Amino acid sequence: MIKDIGYLEVLKNTIGASIQDQGRIGYANWGVPVSGALDHRSFSLANQLLGNKESDAVLELTQPGLICSFDEYALVSFAGAKVDILLNSERIGDHQTLPISPGDILQIGKFILGKSLYLGVKGGFQTKVVMKSRSQFQGITPSPSLQKSDRVPFFTSHKSYPKSTASVKSTYHWFEPSEIEVYAGPDFEKLSNFEREKLLSNPFTLSSASNRMAIQLDETVTNSLPDLFTAPVLPGTIQLTSGGKLLILMKDAQVTGGYPRIFQLTTEALSILAQKQPGEKIRFRLATIAHY
Amino acid sequence: MKPKILQIAPNKIELYWKEKPSDVLLQHLISWENLLLSTSSDKLLEIRKGYQTLSCLMKDPLSKSDLLGFQNLISAPIKLEALSTKVWEIPVCYEIKFGTDLAFLAKTKGMDIEQVVEIHSNKTYRIHFYGFLPGFMYLNGLDPRLHFDRKEIPDRKILSGSVAIGGAQTGIYPSESPGGWHIIGRSPIRFFNPNFEIPVFGKAGEQIKFKPINRSEFEDFSQQPSLLFNND
Repeated sequence: MIKDIGYLEVLKNTIGASIQDQGRIGYANWGVPVSGALDHRSFSLANQLLGNKESDAVLELTQPGLICSFDEYALVSFAGAKVDILLNSERIGDHQTLPISPGDILQIGKFILGKSLYLGVKGGFQTKVVMKSRSQFQGITPSPSLQKSDRVPFFTSHKSYPKSTASVKSTYHWFEPSEIEVYAGPDFEKLSNFEREKLLSNPFTLSSASNRMAIQLDETVTNSLPDLFTAPVLPGTIQLTSGGKLLILMKDAQVTGGYPRIFQLTTEALSILAQKQPGEKIRFRLATIAHY
Repeated sequence: MKPKILQIAPNKIELYWKEKPSDVLLQHLISWENLLLSTSSDKLLEIRKGYQTLSCLMKDPLSKSDLLGFQNLISAPIKLEALSTKVWEIPVCYEIKFGTDLAFLAKTKGMDIEQVVEIHSNKTYRIHFYGFLPGFMYLNGLDPRLHFDRKEIPDRKILSGSVAIGGAQTGIYPSESPGGWHIIGRSPIRFFNPNFEIPVFGKAGEQIKFKPINRSEFEDFSQQPSLLFNND
């Protein structure tokens, strides 16, 4: 059985790097955000490729620049964005799983397609669990994100893994569509026909002022919606402020809000959005909830 | 005071009320929450509260019969449970060093600082729910004389434990954070501890009361609040 510990050491850190898993459910009652991987679909794939548990922790990267080394044998996976990755200074191509030997150095380079890359390790990263999750968050886990010189533990068998002979095709076109599916939010019916028309037919541009808490959209939608009493919000909830600003709440968003909740993203739409870069344009498409 | 239901997503459904926040509405919310937890816990992931809303996250997408079940549930009258009698004592040092906006607030309102402190600390506040930050209590009951519009430009850094007023609300920042509320004091109490399964001390329905303390008491104070009253 795998019991010994190996370490991924951060040689050069970057912003937008953090340990994430499925997030914290059941703690929003105390004001604790869900957190967890921004793109659940790719996070799941990173674990599936390794035969990991669904709840195993991965490294989420949303910016280039990370350089890390491994001091033990490991098997890692990559899912999500298409990124230039170097292993010991050689480009690794579109490998989805990669055997690692002691002393290996990984360099995360340019993001070619997509915005969120998931680096999984067989057995999952073994950082501290706080409130049933390893997802890093300010004031919950010891660090809010990956830090310089961090040594991130994982299990090692001290044996090298064989190179995968199976050729699994990497797909990136699932996050290409610019149409984002949403359900009507609790305050959708308060919008005028004109405001709804504008929301559902205009393109909206992702602002560079976006992070794990929220994606802001550049274009505004003037409206006469009233300020409301604070209500619960979820990742995927889209708020429209009185100033016309659209805010798409993401995994680290606070769990309550006073702005009107006009849309709720579908789960798939949330994953797609997590792969959009600032400057990309999206359109909203209203979906109805199916019942069985 | 009957709730209505609205389905937001395949696995998310809300009970909502039109009435303004009050002890009575909170009593309804908590009673419905407890009923849902006791009857549907096998299907429920979690229930979240707002001032007028109960948001239910289900484990699986709601089926037609699930929806019917909810409709039947809310059509029946609810057996109201009494709100908790617990009152937590929250020590607050209202001195200028900690209450950085206290002098400005008092002056703008044409009051003495002592008057502001007296009005703020002589009554209890009901905990409605948590949100905004881990451990941030949404409190009800701020005296209208102390209502004060939020700052146009928020502070970049409000220290942990800061007691503040924003609009018609008062609250305590449980951790360092940017914020637009006016700081009138600071409490030595720890409001959130992630090492505990229940990381806060106060539950929705319970109340708090601020107790003015001086600077040296602030320094000596324990991080655990004491119960001023409990008849539960």
